[in-house]
Amino acid sequence: MIRLALAQMRRSLPRLVSAGIAVAIGTAFVAATLVAGNVITRTTYDSMVASLAQADLVVRGSELTPDTLAAVRATDGVAAADGRVALWTELAAGGQRAYPEVTTRASDPRLEAQQVRSGRLPDAPGEIALPASLADRLDLAVGDEVRTVRTTWDPETGEPSESTESLAVVGLTEDPSGAFARTGGAAVVHPDDAARWYDQEWGGEGLAYDAIVVALEPQADLEAARAALADAAPGTVVQTRDERAQQLTAELTGDTEALTAVVLGFAAIALLVAALVVTNTFQVLVAQRTRTLALLRCVGADKRQVRRSVLVEAALLGAAASAAGIAVGLALAQVTLLVLGNVNPDVPLPTTVPVSAAVLAVPFAVGTVVTLVAALAPARAATRVAPLAALRPADAPVLGTRASRGRLALALLLTVGGGGLLVGGVALSGSEGGVMVGLPVGLLGGALSFVGVLVGALLWIPPVVALAGRLLARTGPSARLAAANTLRNPRRTSATSAALLIGVTLVAMMSTGAASARTTLASEFDAQFPVDVVVRDPNLGATDPSATPQITSDVVSRLAAVEGVEAVAHSRVVTVAWADDEGDLGWEELQVLPPDTARNVLLDPAQADGLADDTVVVTRALAERYGLADGDPVTLAVDGGPGTEVTRDVVVTDFAGALLATPTTLGALGVDLPTNELWLRLAADADTVAVMDDVQEALSDSALQVFGVALERAMFENVIDTLLAIVLGLLAAAVVIALIGVANTLSLSVIERRRESATLRAIGMSRAQLRGSLAVEGMLVAVVGAVLGSALGLVYGWAGTLTVLRALGDVALELPWRELGAVLAVAVAAGLLASVLPARSAVRTSPVEALAVE
Amino acid sequence: MTTSATPPAGPPARLPAVRARGLTKVYGSGPSAVEALVDADMDVPAGEFTAIMGPSGSGKSTLMHLLAGLDSVTRGQAFIGDLDITTLDDRELTRLRRDRVGFVFQSFNLLPMFTAEQNIVLPLELAGRPVDRAWFDTLVTTLALGDRLDHRPSELSGGQQQRVAIARALIAKPDVVFADEPTGNLDSRAGAQVLSFLRRSVRELGRTVIMVTHDPSAAAYADRVVLIADGRIAGEISDPTPESVLAGLDALRTLDEVAVP
Repeated sequence: MIRLALAQMRRSLPRLVSAGIAVAIGTAFVAATLVAGNVITRTTYDSMVASLAQADLVVRGSELTPDTLAAVRATDGVAAADGRVALWTELAAGGQRAYPEVTTRASDPRLEAQQVRSGRLPDAPGEIALPASLADRLDLAVGDEVRTVRTTWDPETGEPSESTESLAVVGLTEDPSGAFARTGGAAVVHPDDAARWYDQEWGGEGLAYDAIVVALEPQADLEAARAALADAAPGTVVQTRDERAQQLTAELTGDTEALTAVVLGFAAIALLVAALVVTNTFQVLVAQRTRTLALLRCVGADKRQVRRSVLVEAALLGAAASAAGIAVGLALAQVTLLVLGNVNPDVPLPTTVPVSAAVLAVPFAVGTVVTLVAALAPARAATRVAPLAALRPADAPVLGTRASRGRLALALLLTVGGGGLLVGGVALSGSEGGVMVGLPVGLLGGALSFVGVLVGALLWIPPVVALAGRLLARTGPSARLAAANTLRNPRRTSATSAALLIGVTLVAMMSTGAASARTTLASEFDAQFPVDVVVRDPNLGATDPSATPQITSDVVSRLAAVEGVEAVAHSRVVTVAWADDEGDLGWEELQVLPPDTARNVLLDPAQADGLADDTVVVTRALAERYGLADGDPVTLAVDGGPGTEVTRDVVVTDFAGALLATPTTLGALGVDLPTNELWLRLAADADTVAVMDDVQEALSDSALQVFGVALERAMFENVIDTLLAIVLGLLAAAVVIALIGVANTLSLSVIERRRESATLRAIGMSRAQLRGSLAVEGMLVAVVGAVLGSALGLVYGWAGTLTVLRALGDVALELPWRELGAVLAVAVAAGLLASVLPARSAVRTSPVEALAVE
Repeated sequence: MTTSATPPAGPPARLPAVRARGLTKVYGSGPSAVEALVDADMDVPAGEFTAIMGPSGSGKSTLMHLLAGLDSVTRGQAFIGDLDITTLDDRELTRLRRDRVGFVFQSFNLLPMFTAEQNIVLPLELAGRPVDRAWFDTLVTTLALGDRLDHRPSELSGGQQQRVAIARALIAKPDVVFADEPTGNLDSRAGAQVLSFLRRSVRELGRTVIMVTHDPSAAAYADRVVLIADGRIAGEISDPTPESVLAGLDALRTLDEVAVP
């Protein structure tokens, strides 16, 4: 049977190649994911080992005091030992500040994790060596002075105070092994300084080390030294460097494994789609070989042998495709490593892909098994070929069109039940804290109903294709022919469309969810902040008018010069006590701007409607709380000011602050205050993230605070967009595989319909018409899959958004036109593209072949 | 009943529907070249039912392919009306097949997803031309397909399928219909029916039909039989009967035997 399988494979090689490519992409995905997981684990492992430098042993425990360190140093076999403290300090030079981790000068070079690039390491208190990159940022060189700024607490009173010291920069370091990569490099100081700072910071509680790193004498025995150390420092844990690294790595990579699992989930989707393509291919191959199989049965092959020949073929294909996929996956990972290594030399990545047995075995097994399983149904179909079929004239094979009643029932049950759960999930999440219940219910419902939709694909995709075909058929005979052809094998068309539907549904769902979340969160933010960006001077208020104003004309002009900033408005903010005719209403922040200026920068200019010298704008929430309406009089007095009271008429708007009044009102309150707040409006089309970077850069040497909706929105949009991009990238594999499936199905059909194509040519079809007909056929299958997938994805995306965000308030359900349009365009283009090669072979058919008799 | 090795003498009453002049087809080149057809001259008058007969491999299919513009010639000319089809490109050949030539195939070659009616009018649709309902009705009546128009090919008998195919070949009122072993896949009763329909379409509808066959009783339905052997036109039988055709074939064989030294 193996010889037969091989002979069959040779004949069907081109078909098998494209099915093989589908499997290979899925397998490559799995292999690359596993490799990435390995690289991350290995990289963290290396960086753990790096932070321990060349230490042989690590002593850890809850009370590692200088006494413990002394005892460790006195132990037999110990060449050197150092305590490691967890310490951070603020460094200031010129106008720049930084807050690096601090480590101590090692007593032995073997315990020093960083290397000296220039100068030397500190030999005495008052000296410091800085990571070269940090020195660059602070604009420092060897020989310069740097100030440390630390808040210390008085041990007696507990009062905080600032303490500043000056340190001489004696050296610049680099961190080739990435020991401090996570914190951006550590400044090295003398142990005495570190001990003193630690003492100050912790209010004289006494120095306690995080860990003690130990370097042994060259001839010392590791296990003996370890036992001696355990005796010398009771109550501690002594680990070898590798043990410690493994422990830390395991703790850290809990997360990596979760990430790997998520990515593998996407790989599973890609493989599922590949399985559909394989099933389809084998089904068609079996149908085309009906005569050969029947002939085999005639000459004595039994059903088992026939089934085995199909399965052997599938196994060989799966194995070959998986091997190719692994090679591609590893090659991709290797290229990625090389690129990353060049782009980002600071991160210590391995230069070659770490290949473990699992990286090779798992994708191979998965790819082969998936192919085999996908071929099971076609293999069974092969056994149903009766020996008699060999004697019948060879008509184009027709696959079964009848869908079983069981399938209908199962599909209905899953779709309706899952849909119910999906709705239930949305309903449940409406209540307080209901998301935790609603989300799992909704997820389960979504998954079940999608399985139902796929199980029922055979039932409902053909009618949809028929409908689309009828619409298209009006455009001419080519389209009518295409529409009729797509319906000849409903099973094949359904499977091809469904493969595409899976990927498109997920893409549309993610896009819809992301767009809806973005809009919903954006309107949430808009309700919380009146303007895009607020720059505030934290020190300057009515109670402390003597402080030096930080908002200088220089600051204003620098902000105004930032690209994307359209307007900068001077504002003043004071705290006022306010009261209505029924009594005190407490304290609120009063914003002071001229009406026109306010209108110019507010996100919603209507928020300043009614603002005048004799009115005060009150936000709706406050007005509702205190029962205030338009025209009600309220009295205002500045907290900590001269106590002058003024009375103003209330105007209630949607102002996203508390109170808003004009400069005249502030003057009447007897307070003269320089600008202590700036309101910025950004261009509508500005790249918020970039603008916010520039704004913060412009303010880097001042103590001004920046906040506002733009920042928050930029952060959220950044997170959402990044996640979306990653997810779409991962789903792309599934879509590509499905498109290969479309091309494969189409070319299989073309081979089957060879004689028909010739007949059509003989009765007057032109080459262009034949080509057009195939293009329409490819497009029909692809577009139906894409449109249905988009619609499904839209529903799932909206359901998901509602479930997750309903607790936040009003959810804006967005239609991501751009993404859906792109999906459709890709589907149309892919359908056309998929028809190019099959059409080429179809138009090459000479009309003479119509006359040929098989 | 006459047999002669040359085309009929004297000019035809009107322009022949199909003419061949020195038509030659050689497959391959060099020592392995095979001469499938050599210097064939032939006139097919319009409104006649002509059968091309000969044993397997005699070149009769090649002759028909060349006359219908389905294959390229090595030498010589083939005319449909006054049009030399050997000079046409693919687009012009497609137009020729749409407007002036019809085909009937041995395996019917109907499109399985279309009904009988859709199959019949397909050539007009492909050409973007309106259906002449009167002509359609005439064809349906002549071919006795009235109650079968909504059926798909899988619901029709072989004979019915071939009648649908004949209607399809005639729907565009072509100058000539080529039928390639139209009874090859039919039992003798259905075959006889199909042949009489072909003959009726010539006599009653004024069409021209060229049929390739190796069955003497099928050839006997034609007005004239052109005999072909070893790639050469070997003779012609007017008003054939099965017996006269068989006799003609026997004569060919004798000729062959005489020709072999």
